[in-house]
Amino acid sequence: MRRSPRLLLALAALSALLLGACGTSDDGDTAGGGGGDTPGDESSVEPITLTDARGVEVVLEDGPATTVVALEWMQAEVLVTLGVMPVGVADPEGYSIWAGTSAPLDDSVADLGTRGEPSFGAIGDLEPDLIVMDAGATDDVVAQLEGYAPVLVVQGSDASDNLAHMRANVELIAQAVGAEDRAAEVLADLDAAIEEGRQALADAGLAGDGWAMADGWMDGSTVSIRMFGEGSLMSDLAEALGLENQWTGDVDDTWGLGVTDVEGLSSLGELHFFYSAAEDDVFADGLVGNPIWDALPFVANGDVHKLDAGTWTFGGPAAAQFFVEQVVAALAG
Amino acid sequence: MTLAPAERPALAEGGAPRPRRRIPTTAALATALLLVVVLAAIHLTQGTSGLGASDLLRLVTERDQHTWNVLLGSRIPRLVAALVVGSALGASGAALQSVARNHLASPELLGVSAGAYLAVTVVAVTGVAVPIWLTGSAAFAGGLLAAALVMAISAGGAAGPTRLVLAGSAASMALGSLTTLLLLLFQEETRGLFAWGSGSLLAVNTDASRQMAPVLVLGIVGLVWLATRLDILALGDDAATALGVGVRSTRVLATVFAVLLAAAAVTVAGPIGFVGLSAPVITRLVGARSPNLLKHRVLVPLSALVGVIVVVGSDVALRAVFGAARGVEVPTGVVTTLWGSLLLVALARAHRDSGPVRDAPTAHGTSVRSRRRVVVVVVAAGAAVVTAAVVGLLVGDRFLLLGDVAAWIQDEASRRVTFRLDERLPRVGGALLAGAALALAGTSVQAVSRNPLAEPGILGITAGAGLGAVVVATSTPSAGVWALSGAATIGAALTFVVVYGLAWRGGLSADRLVLVGIGVAAAVGAVTVMLLVLTDPWNTPKALTWLSGSTYGRRLPHLVPLVLTLLVVTPGLLAAHRSLDLLAIDEDVPRVLGVRLERVRWAVLAGAVALTASTVTAVGVVGFVGLVAPHAARALVGGAHRRVLVVAPLLGAVLLSSADTIGRSVIAPSQIPAGLITALVGTPYFVWLLYRSRPT
Repeated sequence: MRRSPRLLLALAALSALLLGACGTSDDGDTAGGGGGDTPGDESSVEPITLTDARGVEVVLEDGPATTVVALEWMQAEVLVTLGVMPVGVADPEGYSIWAGTSAPLDDSVADLGTRGEPSFGAIGDLEPDLIVMDAGATDDVVAQLEGYAPVLVVQGSDASDNLAHMRANVELIAQAVGAEDRAAEVLADLDAAIEEGRQALADAGLAGDGWAMADGWMDGSTVSIRMFGEGSLMSDLAEALGLENQWTGDVDDTWGLGVTDVEGLSSLGELHFFYSAAEDDVFADGLVGNPIWDALPFVANGDVHKLDAGTWTFGGPAAAQFFVEQVVAALAG
Repeated sequence: MTLAPAERPALAEGGAPRPRRRIPTTAALATALLLVVVLAAIHLTQGTSGLGASDLLRLVTERDQHTWNVLLGSRIPRLVAALVVGSALGASGAALQSVARNHLASPELLGVSAGAYLAVTVVAVTGVAVPIWLTGSAAFAGGLLAAALVMAISAGGAAGPTRLVLAGSAASMALGSLTTLLLLLFQEETRGLFAWGSGSLLAVNTDASRQMAPVLVLGIVGLVWLATRLDILALGDDAATALGVGVRSTRVLATVFAVLLAAAAVTVAGPIGFVGLSAPVITRLVGARSPNLLKHRVLVPLSALVGVIVVVGSDVALRAVFGAARGVEVPTGVVTTLWGSLLLVALARAHRDSGPVRDAPTAHGTSVRSRRRVVVVVVAAGAAVVTAAVVGLLVGDRFLLLGDVAAWIQDEASRRVTFRLDERLPRVGGALLAGAALALAGTSVQAVSRNPLAEPGILGITAGAGLGAVVVATSTPSAGVWALSGAATIGAALTFVVVYGLAWRGGLSADRLVLVGIGVAAAVGAVTVMLLVLTDPWNTPKALTWLSGSTYGRRLPHLVPLVLTLLVVTPGLLAAHRSLDLLAIDEDVPRVLGVRLERVRWAVLAGAVALTASTVTAVGVVGFVGLVAPHAARALVGGAHRRVLVVAPLLGAVLLSSADTIGRSVIAPSQIPAGLITALVGTPYFVWLLYRSRPT
């Protein structure tokens, strides 16, 4: 019986807490589910029907979506580029550090939590009329989010033809937000940038030159290097510029990425080497001084280029164009 | 004095006494050295550039710059790292085993590696490039704290291997949870650490190895300096004191040297698993026939050499099996863990039952509680469950009020409220039910294993369920509830059958069951990491979330397997409460009283397997609930299973649900998996529990 008084006390405290929790938190909110939030547009809007990455028909009853949330960074970037500032993004802080230089978010964009487990409540609060998310999420998450708003699932990457895949994604998202014209413009700009870049590289006599790109990480003295192989978006862009990806190792089917160590790089010959790194720069801090790295032709020639911070290597058209411009500036600038 | 005393008996007792054939010390050292040289030579010929033995040999006659660069820039740094790590862990393990007078003491099982790794991760999260010596110091501090904690709560290992290993694995689990939390919250900063967390040797220079070399030398020389004292210590504390050896100072010094060595290894290559366990054990197995090798003057350096053989051998095997290119993806530590854990299983099988002297989870020590007290506890626990449920619904990324719930029940709530409650209901329900199921499973396992420190995870069931689910989740991402649940159950059942089968040697020893279980769980965990690294290398946050136990995205259908299992198993367990009481006493009493021991044991454990597996679809892999809840229940209402089986699930439900609620709310809109919170909450309780029940 020694502990009973304490137990009773705890119970009393809890019941007090529960009593305090009475009442409702609804302050004149629209009651009773969907419907009431259509913009006061009198003209009858055409519903939009789209087929997303799941092969599911997504119907937007009220026409183009205006209040959109994006649960992955590529999707967020596409929306920003299309002129539709998302109302919420998963991990916007991370986006601005790692992904957002070419398509920055407004300060108004709400934080939806981590990309792995975005908060349903935070999404629901924004009362979106469209949720754009990556195909990596489980069916259960998608199914629940469909209770909040139509969900457009986008496959972020496909190593079979990533550039075409990215264009298709832009067009798909553009249809959902009624920004087809803007999408055409954006993609034309990208095409122009690629074409201009290709020309500039050709003029500089670099057409057909070798190219390779990597990112990586270092812990103590151990370094892992992740290669952007055949089929990665960055590789597709470089090839579109008339360069040739010299990395031929195994890559995965989705992102076109492969892992290797410094020794694995030794097969690379004359080429232009690009890499992406944060402040913790594996290539500058870790590999410099390594005999294999130092002897690589592109290292010896100083043909190693670091991408600007916040160039998202798994991004959309803005990131792609940003990348293309950096490559061209670095090689033919 | 101890249950598993000095090194020799524990290892030699397995077989019949053999005629002693002394292996000359120099011959043993020379053989080990030769093996190191041979393996190192093979190691040097493997690598992603494809340069083989013939290319390297050609260096003798002509100096090909490319080959030379590969040798200097990759092969040698990698080999040096392996040498440093292997020798450091081998010597460290040898010392710890002697200090604890227990052949299972090792940097891995004492939580030293986990502590060091956590410290390294904390440093990495700051995002600033720090010098290696600083990382190394952090690793040392982390490792030392973990070792001190585990040693303190297991009475320096004198309380027998099971207790030491349980304390160590619980500490490792808790430290690992903290590490995982950091990896989840800082995923871009720590991208490489998931694979590194299993130990990687892909060094690009010898900086870390060189900077840790003085530590390595200091550690090994220090241990050799202590050799005579350690030899005498092996005779027992009293004998050592009588012979003028400072028992305490020797222990402390040797532990410090051992932790220095382990921390150096973690700094160079991450926590490479089970080397510190297997190397000295192999040495002692050889030495069992030749006592001159067991003198610490020889034992320490020899274990260091064997450690090198284990690490280099594992790395060689890894590349031989997967090829040079894919060998880069699989961390070396996965291989050492795999085979080190198999060795642990073999050791456990050789482990002789230490007799009926068990601190059984019965009413021993806890007085029988009055009926009135039991009623009060049950009512209070029931009220706590209701409270946890209500608070769970109200608290989250945003507070709701009871009126909201009322409106929601009548289907009149606003969208905002409806969304939240629709999402929270299955999560709260899942956490409550899974908590109850895990507590029941834990109660069963503790009764059967006659060990209050056992839990489903320690029998490998949780790891097996996790592996089954991961296999399905990675191969068919769209797999539904039943596929996942089925795979988890099959995984759990298979693992359990393996554990039970391996632990069975003409009878079941509770100690052996636990040790085999821990070994198999480690092996299954290594396979899971390998699978995740090979199939979905860029999606570690998803894997981590899954493996740390989260209710995220769960819907009501996910709870169906759980509800059904609870409905079937709970009445069965309740009906068997008397058998459980008897089972928990010892081997003989139930037999005398006519309980068909094996049948009951099988049925109860099968129930525990089913319960554990069914929770995986609802919350993923959650530890500690099955450990803590039954114990707390016994503390409140005594050891009778009639009562424990009622109170434990209520407490388990409250624990997991509170953890889930905390995880959903404290850093909203971001979330912390419930399993990490239970580990963080459960560990201090567990440590306190071990400390309080330590043998005096």
